[in-house]
Amino acid sequence: MAVLRAERTPARSAPLSETSVLGWLRKNLFSSWINIILTIVSIYIIYITVTGLWVWGVTDAVWVAKDRRDCFDISIDGACWAGVIVWLDNFFYGRYPRAELWRVNLGGLLLFLWMAPLWLPRVKDKIFIGLTTVFLYPFLAGYFFAGGDKGLFMQVMISLAIVALIGQTLHAIIGVSSGRGLPEYLIRLLGKEEASEARQRHTLLAILAGALVVAFVGQMGWSFVGVSWTKWGGMFLTLVISGIGIASALPLGIILALGRRSKLPVIRVLSTAFIELFRSVPLITVLFMATTMFPLFMPEGFVLNKLVQVIIAVCLFSGCYMAETVRAGLQAIPHGQYEAAHTVGLGYWGTMGLVVMPQALKHMIPNIVGSFIGLLKDTTLVSIIGLFDVLGMLRAVSQDIPWRGLHKEPLIFGAVLFFVICFAMSKYSRHLEVKLSAGDNR
Amino acid sequence: MIMAVGDTNNTSVPVRPKERFDFFHDERVRSVFYQVLTAGVVGWLAWYLISNTAHNLEVRGMNTGFGFLTATAGFDTDFKLIEYKPGIGTYGRIFLIGCLNTLLVSFFAIIASTFLGFFVGILRLSNNWLVARLALVFVEIVRNTPLLLQIIFWYVGVFAILPRVKNSLDLSGGAEVVFLNNRGLYMAWPVPGDLFWMTTTAFVAAVVGVFFLRRWAHKRQDQTGQQFPVVSASAALLILVPGAVYLVTGSPLEWDIPTLQGFNFKGGFSLPPAFLALLVSLTIYHAAHLAESVRAGILSVNKGQTEAALAIGLKPGRAMALVIIPQAMRAIVPPLISLWMNVVKNSSLAIAIGYSDVVALFMQTALNQAGYAVEMVAMTMAFYMFISLSISGLLNIYNKRVQLVER
Repeated sequence: MAVLRAERTPARSAPLSETSVLGWLRKNLFSSWINIILTIVSIYIIYITVTGLWVWGVTDAVWVAKDRRDCFDISIDGACWAGVIVWLDNFFYGRYPRAELWRVNLGGLLLFLWMAPLWLPRVKDKIFIGLTTVFLYPFLAGYFFAGGDKGLFMQVMISLAIVALIGQTLHAIIGVSSGRGLPEYLIRLLGKEEASEARQRHTLLAILAGALVVAFVGQMGWSFVGVSWTKWGGMFLTLVISGIGIASALPLGIILALGRRSKLPVIRVLSTAFIELFRSVPLITVLFMATTMFPLFMPEGFVLNKLVQVIIAVCLFSGCYMAETVRAGLQAIPHGQYEAAHTVGLGYWGTMGLVVMPQALKHMIPNIVGSFIGLLKDTTLVSIIGLFDVLGMLRAVSQDIPWRGLHKEPLIFGAVLFFVICFAMSKYSRHLEVKLSAGDNR
Repeated sequence: MIMAVGDTNNTSVPVRPKERFDFFHDERVRSVFYQVLTAGVVGWLAWYLISNTAHNLEVRGMNTGFGFLTATAGFDTDFKLIEYKPGIGTYGRIFLIGCLNTLLVSFFAIIASTFLGFFVGILRLSNNWLVARLALVFVEIVRNTPLLLQIIFWYVGVFAILPRVKNSLDLSGGAEVVFLNNRGLYMAWPVPGDLFWMTTTAFVAAVVGVFFLRRWAHKRQDQTGQQFPVVSASAALLILVPGAVYLVTGSPLEWDIPTLQGFNFKGGFSLPPAFLALLVSLTIYHAAHLAESVRAGILSVNKGQTEAALAIGLKPGRAMALVIIPQAMRAIVPPLISLWMNVVKNSSLAIAIGYSDVVALFMQTALNQAGYAVEMVAMTMAFYMFISLSISGLLNIYNKRVQLVER
C-alpha cells in the first residue's frame, strides 16, 4: 500500500534563530542559564569599562591647559590630554629640527611612492622593485633624514636610487596603461623593434647610463643641512630602526636558513649555532652587548655611534628570527620540487633561486609581516639604553617641568598608536594569507 | 671501439665512456672547498674581533678574567632571595641573586599565564557571542601593544600610585595578614617548627601513594573495566594524610605576620611593586598569546573525533578530557613551551622598572661598578642560553613522546 499526497507540502519557514534578531539573540546569548549569567556579567564588564574610560578620557578630560597644575584646576578626575597634545610633535619626530620636519615626511612618503607599484596588478618585475626598495631606498631616505655632506659612495647610491625611482614609476604607469614594461616601451619609442636583441640591450644600457649621469650631475647641486642622529627620535626613529632591521633581516635570514639546511656539516653547524645563540637570549642583552662590546671589537680609533650599534644589534637579532621563518617556508616546499629542479639540470643555486625560493617566499609573506610587527614592538627596547624612540619620548613627558608626573596619558596615547599600526598590519597580513593561499586551496 | 671477430652476441652493448676526474666540478672537492672557505672566513673574523678586543682592553687598562667573581661588591639590592650584604657579599653572589630573581618572576608568570591563557583561549570558543568577542578584544589589545609599554604602564600607572604605607589595602579582608601599598605586597609567611618535617614527610608519602594508586586503578580498569574515582581519592589522600599528621604533631607551624613599625612593615614576606608590575604584565601579555594557540589547537582537532567519542557513549566532559584535549595538546604544547621561553627572556625587561633581575643587577649595575664587560655579558647570555636550551630540550622529549606514529 502506498500513501500518496495530492499536493506538495508548503515549505516551512527558516528557523527563527537564523532570521530574526530576537532569534539570533536567543541562540547566541541566552541559550541556557549559564549563558544568561555570562551575558549579564559581560554586559556589566563592558558597561563599567566603557563608561569609566569615557568619563575619564572624554567628558572629564582637559584638552587645553598650560601645565599639569592647570589640568588639575580644571578637572581633578579627568585625563590631562593637554600635555599629550603639546608633546605630539615630539612623539612623532623627537628633537628633529622643526624647520626640517618636511624632510622626514617626504622621506616617508617616498617609501609609499616607491612601493606603490607592488600593489598594482598589471605591473611586471615586482621582484626587481622589491629589491630596489631594500637596497636603494634606504640610501635616498637616509640622506633625506641625515643630510650633510655626501661622500662619493653616497652620491653614486643616491643617483642610482633616483634613477630607480623614476624608472620604476614610469614602468608602473606604462604597465598599468598598456600592460607593457618600460624597456619594451622605450624600444618602440625609438623604433628599434626590428634590431637584434644585443642591439636592443645596448640601447637600453646607454639610456640607463645617460640617466645615471644626468641624475649624478643633478644631485651634485642638491644638499640638505646635516641633522645629527642624536636629534632623531620618536616614532620616526622607531620606524627607522625597525625598517632597517626588517629590510636587512631578509637577506641575512635567507643566507642563515640556507646554511642551516645545507648538506655541508661545517656550514650547517656554524649557521645553527649563530641562529640559536641569538634566539636564546633576550634582545636587551644583545643591545647591551652592542653598546658595551662593539666598541671593544672595533680597531682602535674606529668609533661607531650608538645608533649604528643598536641598528647592527637589531639586524643580527631579527636576521636570526627571520632565518627560522625562512626555514619554515622552505620546509613547506614539497621535496618533489627539488627533485624536479635537479632533473631539469639545475644546480644548487639554480634550484634555490629559480624554483624553491620564489615559492617559499610566497608562503612567508604573512609571517614576514608578522615579524615586522614583532620587531616594531621590540624596538621600544632601545629606550632602555638611552635612545629617545617613541617610548622614550612618551616617558620623557613626566620629566618635563610643566607636565611633571604625567605618566598615564602619554602611555595610553602610545598604546593606541601602536595598536592602530600593529592591528592594521596584522589584519592586512591575514588578508594576504588568504589571498596568497587561494591558489593552493582549489 | 674494436670488437673481437665472431663475438656477435655482444655487439650492441654500449660502453660507458670513462669519466674524466674534473677537479673543479667534483662534488666532494667543492664541498670540502666551501667548508674550508667558510671556516676560514669565520675563523679569521673571530680572530680579528678577539685580537681587537684584547688590544683595546690592554690600551684602556681594563681588567680581565673571572677573578672578580670572588671580589666583594659594594652595592646593595632591594630584593634578594639569599643572604647578601654590601661590602661582604661577592659579585658571584650578585650574579646568583640576579638569576634567582629572574627565575622567580618567570616561574610565577609561567604558571599564571598558562592558566589564564587556557582560560581565555576557551572563552574565545564560547557559544556565547558576547563572551567570545570580549575575549577577542582583550587578546587583540594586548597582542598589538609593546610589552615594554605595558610593563611601564602597570608600574607607573597602577602599582606606583597605590595608597601609602599608612593607608595600606588589606587584601585578606580584615584579617590583617596581607597588605598592599606603594612599597609592595606584604604577606604572612610560615615559619616551620621542630616537628614540621613529619608533615612534609607525610606529604611526600601521600604523593608516592597517589602514584601507586593511579597505576593500580589503571590496571584494574584494563582488566575488569571498572573505573575507580582516582581524582577524588588522590585529593583526599593528599589533604587528609599530611593534615592529620600536622594536627597530631601539634600544629608545628608559626606565621610571621607583617606589622606596621614606624614607616614600613616589618616581618613576613614582601614583594616590591616592580615585581608585581612585571608579574602582572608578563602574565597578561603571554596569556593573550597563549589564548590564540589554545584556540587554534582545539580547533585543529577534527570534529569527527567529538562525534565519535559521543557515539561510543562518553559524556561530553569525558569526551573533552579523554579525546579532544589529548589530541589538541599535540598542537598546543610546542607553542606553549616556546611561550615559556619567551616569558624567561621577556622578564629581562624588568630593567625598565628597576626590578633586580640578572640583566639589571649583573649586566648593568655590576658592570658599571666593576667593568668586566666581556665576562659579564658572556655570563648573562650563557645563563639565558642554558635556560632556553633546557626548556627546548624538554620540548624535544615531549615531541618524541607524542609524535603521531604513522603506520
